[in-house]
Amino acid sequence: MAAASTSGSGRDIGGSGGGSAAGEMEVEAYRRLFPLPFYERHLLDSVRPDARPLHRARDTSVVLGPVASADGSALVKIGDTTMLAAIKLEVMTPSADAPDEGSLAIEFHMPPICSPIVRPGRPAEVAPVISKQLSDVIVSSQMINLKELSLISGKAAWMAYLDIYCLNADGSLFDAALLSAIAAFSHLQIPLVSLSDDGKVVAVSGDLLEDESTPELVNKERKLLLHSIPFSLTCILHKKYILADPTAEEESIMETSITVVLDSSEQLVSIYKPGGPVLAQTSTVKDCIVLTKHRMKELQNILEESLSAMEVV
Amino acid sequence: MEYLDSLTGFRLDGRRPNDMRQIRGEIGVVAKADGSALFEMGNTKVIAAVYGPREVQNKSQQINNQALVRCEYSMANFSTGDRARRPKGDRRSTEISLVIRQTMEACILTHLMPRSQIDIFVQVLQADGGTRSACINAATLALADAGVPMCDIVTSCSAGYLSSTPLLDLNYIEDSAGGPDVTVGILAKMDKVTLLQVSKLIFLNAKCCISLIL
Repeated sequence: MAAASTSGSGRDIGGSGGGSAAGEMEVEAYRRLFPLPFYERHLLDSVRPDARPLHRARDTSVVLGPVASADGSALVKIGDTTMLAAIKLEVMTPSADAPDEGSLAIEFHMPPICSPIVRPGRPAEVAPVISKQLSDVIVSSQMINLKELSLISGKAAWMAYLDIYCLNADGSLFDAALLSAIAAFSHLQIPLVSLSDDGKVVAVSGDLLEDESTPELVNKERKLLLHSIPFSLTCILHKKYILADPTAEEESIMETSITVVLDSSEQLVSIYKPGGPVLAQTSTVKDCIVLTKHRMKELQNILEESLSAMEVV
Repeated sequence: MEYLDSLTGFRLDGRRPNDMRQIRGEIGVVAKADGSALFEMGNTKVIAAVYGPREVQNKSQQINNQALVRCEYSMANFSTGDRARRPKGDRRSTEISLVIRQTMEACILTHLMPRSQIDIFVQVLQADGGTRSACINAATLALADAGVPMCDIVTSCSAGYLSSTPLLDLNYIEDSAGGPDVTVGILAKMDKVTLLQVSKLIFLNAKCCISLIL
């Protein structure tokens, strides 16, 4: 590699901390050795190393139905962070205290392919945390009415298993996971079933509809009705700056993060700020909520586009 | 069950006995990994990521004159027809991890990278028969993407014998029919066999299967 730095040659890298290693230094080396001063130089100009303004999130894309064998699935990419969510439905007997409700089981996995820090012997610490956060948000936002998952009251109901796999971990894992969960639920097609003679619930292929006397679930509507859909945005706080949608590098350098979840009627579902060196004032929290509102509109558009693209096919 | 239609000679999915399913490969899918690849054989989808060569994490396992190759194979919960909770260390996964590791170790030039570790992680996203082969193919692409020095590319395919005919590249239904099946891994240019696994050997038929793959 050439000794001269690319865009920073001759720039006086003075300033806090490791700035005393001034003079010619390769930008990449400076970024690794003194990450915080590197970022602060960018923040002074209200921009980040990947040329994003502070409040802009990375390019997001949603693909519905990548896993053909699942009842509902979605692949979501926010920048490089990639999540694959898939839902499988199984029939089960509902519990005695909720005989006409189905149930939901949400699991979040971070297999070793997603990041160099995750190893077979040592699973990622954040995985169970995000798993719990996801369950809490999806249940408390009441996006899904469990009664819609019921088949025969007291005897049969759907158990929806949602598995989310992180295929590439580059920051904002919770946002991507939540978006993939919602996309998978929007894509979910509940299979048609009928009651066989010995009382078992049996899957029915589309053609043989009319014959059996059927407690067909939700009749012709094989899709779940999603009520108030939650959308989230994670922001990093550093001194007086708020950075929206951090990458893994940003998350590791500036540790204070705050995640705000709003539902589609702009009601607050959850705020999560797990400690961190920076203390947030009310104004900061309000700014984060405003940023989340903007982000929510973007995400709603993206989700609608992918849903309509799917219907055309 | 009729696996081969006697009139037309087509299989259940409309292929002829020596037709492979459509294959598709893509590299560089996991940005954080040193090398990664997504490989599809029909409906079987597998993603492989390679991290390395990097420092050995468990110093007691370090080998002083060559690289340590580790492999982990896992299946996503939704990958098969019924959602099965798969404990990570179950027998089948361990066996396949071992098979993939030894296959790749044969062609990686490990003596060029002493005291280092190469991790190969393979995740099955959708399983429709032939996962072992798809994993080896994906792992090869991922290693190539990572720039790990290898002596050759390893390709792999499976075949079986049903309804008195050798069939190439079985899907899940044909695989679970209970006939013999064979998986072969070959070094492409050098024309050598690294992996050969046969179940239910019926001598003559296995030979037909192997020659079909080659």
